[in-house]
Amino acid sequence: MTKRVVEHATCLGCGCACDDITVVVDGDRIVEARNSCALGRAWFADGSVPRETRAGGKPVAPDVALGDAAKLLARAERPLVYLAPDISCETQRAAVAIADRLGALLDSPTGEIAAGILASQRRGRAGATLGEIRQRADLVVFWGVDPADRYPRYASRYAVDPAGLQAPDGRKSRRVVAVDVGPSRGAADADERVAIAPEHEVDALALMRAVVLGRAIGEDAVARVATGLATRMLHARYVALVHDAEPSPHGSPLHADRTEALIALAQALNGPARCALSSLRAGGNRSGADAVATWQTGFPFAVDFAGGYPRYRPHAGAAVLLARREIDVALLVGSPAGVPQAVAAALGQVTTIAIGPRASAAPFRPTVAIDTGVAGIHEGGTAFRMDDLALPLRPALSGPAVAADVVRALAARLMKGRS
Amino acid sequence: MSKTRLRIAGGVVYDPANDGGADGGIRDVCIEDGRIVAELPRDAPKLDARGMVVMAGGVDIHSHIAGSSVNQGRRLLPEEHAADPAPAPPLADPDAIPRSGTGGTIPTTFTTGYRYAALGYTTAMEAAVAPLAARQAHAELDDTPIIDAGLFTLLGNDDYLLRQIAAGEAARARDYAAWVLSAAGGYAIKIVNPGGVERWKAGGRNVTGLDDAVGSGAVTPRRILETLADAANALELPHPVHIHCNNLGQAGNATTTLETMRALAGRRAHFTHLQFHSYGGERGKSWKSAAKEVIEHVNAHPEVSVDVGQVMFGPATTLTADAPVEYLLHASSGRRWVNVDVELETGCGIVPYSYKEQAAVASLQWAVGLELFLLAKDPWRVVLSTDHPNGGSFLSYPELIRLLMDRSHRDECLKRVNQKLVAGSALADGLAREYTLSEIATVTRAAPARLLGLKHKGHLGVGADADVTVYANDADRAKMFSTPRHVIKGGVLVVEEGQLRRAPTGRRLRVQPGYDRAVTRDLKRWFDGYACVSFENYPAAELGE
Repeated sequence: MTKRVVEHATCLGCGCACDDITVVVDGDRIVEARNSCALGRAWFADGSVPRETRAGGKPVAPDVALGDAAKLLARAERPLVYLAPDISCETQRAAVAIADRLGALLDSPTGEIAAGILASQRRGRAGATLGEIRQRADLVVFWGVDPADRYPRYASRYAVDPAGLQAPDGRKSRRVVAVDVGPSRGAADADERVAIAPEHEVDALALMRAVVLGRAIGEDAVARVATGLATRMLHARYVALVHDAEPSPHGSPLHADRTEALIALAQALNGPARCALSSLRAGGNRSGADAVATWQTGFPFAVDFAGGYPRYRPHAGAAVLLARREIDVALLVGSPAGVPQAVAAALGQVTTIAIGPRASAAPFRPTVAIDTGVAGIHEGGTAFRMDDLALPLRPALSGPAVAADVVRALAARLMKGRS
Repeated sequence: MSKTRLRIAGGVVYDPANDGGADGGIRDVCIEDGRIVAELPRDAPKLDARGMVVMAGGVDIHSHIAGSSVNQGRRLLPEEHAADPAPAPPLADPDAIPRSGTGGTIPTTFTTGYRYAALGYTTAMEAAVAPLAARQAHAELDDTPIIDAGLFTLLGNDDYLLRQIAAGEAARARDYAAWVLSAAGGYAIKIVNPGGVERWKAGGRNVTGLDDAVGSGAVTPRRILETLADAANALELPHPVHIHCNNLGQAGNATTTLETMRALAGRRAHFTHLQFHSYGGERGKSWKSAAKEVIEHVNAHPEVSVDVGQVMFGPATTLTADAPVEYLLHASSGRRWVNVDVELETGCGIVPYSYKEQAAVASLQWAVGLELFLLAKDPWRVVLSTDHPNGGSFLSYPELIRLLMDRSHRDECLKRVNQKLVAGSALADGLAREYTLSEIATVTRAAPARLLGLKHKGHLGVGADADVTVYANDADRAKMFSTPRHVIKGGVLVVEEGQLRRAPTGRRLRVQPGYDRAVTRDLKRWFDGYACVSFENYPAAELGE
């Protein structure tokens, strides 16, 4: 068999959404994903996915599975619609319509980073698309994150290495500062390294902001570090302040005030200099779920339709209501493997309908499972980069059912069922 | 109700594009297959409009309803959304999923479509979309029912264009503009603070006048304006270049505005939210109205058109690609602030705001907008907008119409506002003019449609789109215009007896001007050197042939 090539494919292995991947296909298998990093190669893998439709643990015809799913949802007292990763915005839009129709709670993995989202709603943000950081930044500060771990091409594609309008010599045009916050280390390739104890992190950020605003601060060890960092930032033309918005891989919970302190610092640096806070997000079109929920409901996550219209429940989202046993039926759309641990465990305790890539292999044994393709590998449509830029998807393989079609068919059944 | 045929019978029809601005005459308006037709058989379904006022559906020439910056604004306003729930309407079509949503100054997409339609508006232009972000704007418009909509494509701070200007490559700049409009699925070229946003991104500064250097000394706001105005006119775009001038919101900016109009003298150009650009006084020192001098220039120059960008008292969200302006507003007000620099193209700034009658500057802004309306000689070139949601929500249009039609109401309102900066203005001296219903029909549908080059919209002549609004004739014009009795969109009765009953999908309005394909080779090289999105993945819309 001859090999086929799909160029300019977008990888959703992490939030970088690199759109320069050349996918080589031999028969019905991906044999190469050129330009991709290790994480991207693992995400594309060979493109094989299960192609099952199951109800009550047995293989059934798609029509039967949809009928069962519609019945279960129509009877639900307190349904949950959960937008898991690896689906396109088109699928997300159709799934939110179901949540609206059912009066369900709508949530997504963004619930895990609620504190950061709420901080940006209180303060706003000073940000930039990733390409603008490439064009402008002369100082890049990696705050407790080495992008090499979970965002492998961030530095080579965006923030550090490539040449830009105001960084003509790429890496040489920029100064890179790594801030190690306890076990969360900054980038390895740094011109300068600073350590801050986790218990002093938020204080240090507040002190840095005070320096930026021209206020006198003390002279203890934390103040000295803060003064040094803030002074360097004030002397830069354009600062990229990079942090990981996702939960820490070290298991240490993010300080709830950390993102707010980072936002406030980035905002204060605008005026005396320019600054963008770059918030690293994981892949699978997680940012798309926020955007779609926002344009359809006004809120980015944890939206409760029970009253007949969207209400924001940032402190009573999927994890909380599942733990309280308030949810009786859950519709999960997306990859079960991408669902946060606490939510996934609780889904085993309720009736679950799973529609998405590898749904039939979900550890929580859904009552109805419909396997679909992976957005970006088997399905086209739109997905968001971590900086809220929408990109097209170029599928290399044909998959099992198309997620958006399945979700729309389910919505149509639910509409027919209305009295 | 049949979709295919409808006779709107016995209403008083205001159709200034066809009746020469006559006071409404009683006649039937006949609809067949989504178009206005001359006559229908006697047994065609009838909508009794006796005693009511019939106009074409409203056309909003400048509004912010979809796209990445609008959605950033939505995300910033959870408390507004919580305070304004919008349950799903009881739609009559069995297959449609009626959608709930939330309102506030930036409603959700479905609610935006429903509310525009319920206001009698059937077309709206999203006025600022970065080409890079066009894919999102189209997706949001796909979720915005009923209204036909187009996008204005942001140019004038984009690196590729500035390079062409620096190199004196006017023809290539024009080809690029045509390509990017096609790629973004745009309808018109929008310029926001030409050169100023690039300077903000490059070093935290702004431009202050038309001849400031932007990077290269060969590139100035003046050159950007000339290049793009010439491009739009050479490409014979249906709408000329749509300009948000430099120095928005600054005391004394009328000088810049007039200089911009003179710089483009003889060229077709549309100047948007003119109110925000018509201030006298001196930056940092004093404020006063310069509405009179600005509108007199507009009155005397038929190649110029404007929308007013009226400020209405109450909540607003300021949201613009003019990021340096939002930085100043944040710095002076201490309010929440979003800034997003958009690679190689433009910026985005958002600050939630509120215009208060007690505030001196807000009162001046309110007065300046009304002066522009009341001193305008030609309603075909000075049309209604609030720059939604910047000067106020589109839901405030009915109150604005009342201010224009009802002098005694206006004078009552004038008494309540802060007099500090308003004293001595033309409005305070007394402007007697009251808009007629025909003039309102002009500034809310006929003229915006004509300025946009939408030949089938804004009027009720044979062949026009069957977008029709029927109002109960109420002496309280705010009430009349806020709750139309019936609205027909593309021949479908969407609002029936004041209730939203149907929500068909709206159409997308876009242009595909021709260009020399050679430009794409050069663009591809530039993309490979600077962009971080593949050239092949950049277009949000089919490029066509």
